Amino acid sequence: MKIPLKYNVRNLFVRKGTTLMTIGSIAFVVLVYVGVLAMAGGLRAAFSAAGDPSNVVVLRDGARSEVESFFTQEKERLLVSMPGVARDAQGQPLAAGQALILQILRRAGGGETNVSIRGVEPSLFNVRTQVQVIDGRRFEPGKAEVIVGRSLAATYPALRLGSTVNFGRVPFKVVGIFAAGGSSFESEVWGPLADLNGAFRRIANYSSALLHAASPADAQELVARIKGDQQLHLTALAEPQYYAEQANVASKQFIILGNVLAVFLAVGACFAAANTMFAQVSARGHEIGTLRALGFRRHSILLAFVIEAAVLGLVAGVAGSLLALPLNGVTAATMNGVTFSEITFSLRTAPWILGMGVLLALVTGVVGGFPAAWSAARRPITELLREH
Amino acid sequence: MRKLALRNLLRNKLRTTLTVASLMFALLLLSLLMAFLDLLASTSGSSDNRIIVRSAISLATLLPESYWHQVETLPHVEAATPLNWFQGVYKDERPENFFPRFAADPATLFKVYPELHIGPEELQAWAADRRGFVAGRTLARKYGWKIGDAIFIKGDIYPVDLELVLRGIFTQPKTPDQEKVLYFQRQYLEEGIGKRGLIGTYVLRIDSPANEVAVRKAAEARFENSDFQVRAETEKAFQLSFAEMLGNVKLLFTVIGLAAVISIFFITANTMAMAARERTAEVGVLKTLGFVRGQLLRLVLAESLAVGLLGAALGCGLSAVLMPVVGALLGKMMPVFGTLRMSGGNWAAGLAIGAAIGLLSGLGPAVAAARLRIVDAVRRVA
Repeated sequence: MKIPLKYNVRNLFVRKGTTLMTIGSIAFVVLVYVGVLAMAGGLRAAFSAAGDPSNVVVLRDGARSEVESFFTQEKERLLVSMPGVARDAQGQPLAAGQALILQILRRAGGGETNVSIRGVEPSLFNVRTQVQVIDGRRFEPGKAEVIVGRSLAATYPALRLGSTVNFGRVPFKVVGIFAAGGSSFESEVWGPLADLNGAFRRIANYSSALLHAASPADAQELVARIKGDQQLHLTALAEPQYYAEQANVASKQFIILGNVLAVFLAVGACFAAANTMFAQVSARGHEIGTLRALGFRRHSILLAFVIEAAVLGLVAGVAGSLLALPLNGVTAATMNGVTFSEITFSLRTAPWILGMGVLLALVTGVVGGFPAAWSAARRPITELLREH
Repeated sequence: MRKLALRNLLRNKLRTTLTVASLMFALLLLSLLMAFLDLLASTSGSSDNRIIVRSAISLATLLPESYWHQVETLPHVEAATPLNWFQGVYKDERPENFFPRFAADPATLFKVYPELHIGPEELQAWAADRRGFVAGRTLARKYGWKIGDAIFIKGDIYPVDLELVLRGIFTQPKTPDQEKVLYFQRQYLEEGIGKRGLIGTYVLRIDSPANEVAVRKAAEARFENSDFQVRAETEKAFQLSFAEMLGNVKLLFTVIGLAAVISIFFITANTMAMAARERTAEVGVLKTLGFVRGQLLRLVLAESLAVGLLGAALGCGLSAVLMPVVGALLGKMMPVFGTLRMSGGNWAAGLAIGAAIGLLSGLGPAVAAARLRIVDAVRRVA
């Protein structure tokens, strides 16, 4: 025979103070866990929004990121006109060479870091359609103008709309702020390729080329063609693959950190849950004895207390997740471990992350409560009934 | 009194143990976090006598070789040497096989780093071999390299692969981090990429740390109107700039630490409240016997302080034991963590947090016990 669930829940709230404090301690553990995982979630979202399976990124052979890569204009011309590259209505290839340059800039809150400056050709806007100027206007080539991704504009005083920023010895004017669907491009500054190459006195013209194919399958064909050409000394990969590596490198540290923290804190919270459940059991010795005398079996008692501990954990898990919800959308910045430049992203408390938080609390409650439940079920009726 | 507090602690051994254990785990975590932060801010092997000159754009932009002579002849500069970060891949891409590799100049390198000891014959042998390299002792031991051994490093930042021969081993027992570095001839790199005269950083040794500001200003001013402006900073500031690039990690760790402290506060406060509730009648008896408020207050606080300190001491102790192990494990993925250790400051902070949590969590029950009216207390006996 099973003990009704209502009994467990009610009992928990008989000793409100104790129960609430235990819930509080577990909830804070969940908050930390969800908070750290939300950073990993936010980074992954930023990078996955950047990759289109029909796009191909071309780099110098041996380079792992755009920062390490460089090649000449002749190669760029060859790439753009390659068969397999899609064309727009006017017959222009949907492809563009780009240069990625790192520039040290000062954050608003203090501290300095490398910011990605991307030199682009006008055709890039036709391939990267998710890039939309939301404030101001697009830059005009030859006029030393740039546009800034919206998450950067918030963090760097030098990159606000209308301000001027020095690249090399050339002052560039910020004429627009752009959005890019929450992708990592929002952590970049975009300007005309020729202007930026001149300002930074770059010898090599291009860091990478972006080619758009008609379909993901065509993109794979293009990748194979570029890799197979021994003359080019270039390597190519589908865009999602390129950004997946950066996402993994960047988010791995937070996932490891989150799990290490979760283990330590949850073990501590298990002891708290154990304390509460032992107190519950010892306060209700007589009651348990009565239940047993009424015919409830040992395993029913065990189950009843385990359920009680599970409810305790569940409530704490939900409370912790609710506490963590305001973290959603909070912007954070870290270093992209592949390009060594700053990536600004929004924390994402995705459903799977909240689920992990609740699961952690549930396990904490059950593991912590089990010893008490076990001892409650094991004690002889005679001994239990003698208690007052 | 003291005896009574101790007895009270031992009365419900299970509860005290559980509370101490949860405190222990939280403090273990806190001290690990603190040690991580220390590590990020560490500048082991840096000298106040050295200035790093690099492009004001970023480290990814190189400087002309012609700057070398110009920085070398600035006032207060005793020696200058060029260094290029090569990166590359040795054996495989696993982080445990990663170590710093620089293209360097044999004639000036050890003049700028006089604390690195190398035999004069070995240095000569390196200078004479275009494909030669020198390595720190720790690094050479790790891979079992002996003089004359050849190694292969695949290029990534630079499109050139290196085939190097070990010509010398340098030592610096005081700062083991400096013994984990490889230097090879920059001439070899230049021939490989087919381009001459591109330098990542210039490292200057100055006569006295007191002239650091003057040298930095002079270096930056020297190239103010040239094609490539430079940034000059002390070696320490240069190293710290990498930790700065990690973003608001410090804030993140502080928030996590705070949440952990709040969490254990709940746990200990809970225990103290449970313990106090059990003893209401007892407090009444003590009061009847003539114990005054202050004494009762101290009695409860002593108990909670003892729990807090015990948990913190165990947590810090466990952390001191575990840290080298954790450091070695994490060091395989991120070499910075290899030297993770518990410092005196970490101990002090850990114990202080434990004491504060103990006192604060005992405060409520202590005040309640002191204020309790005898009649109310004794009534509960039945």
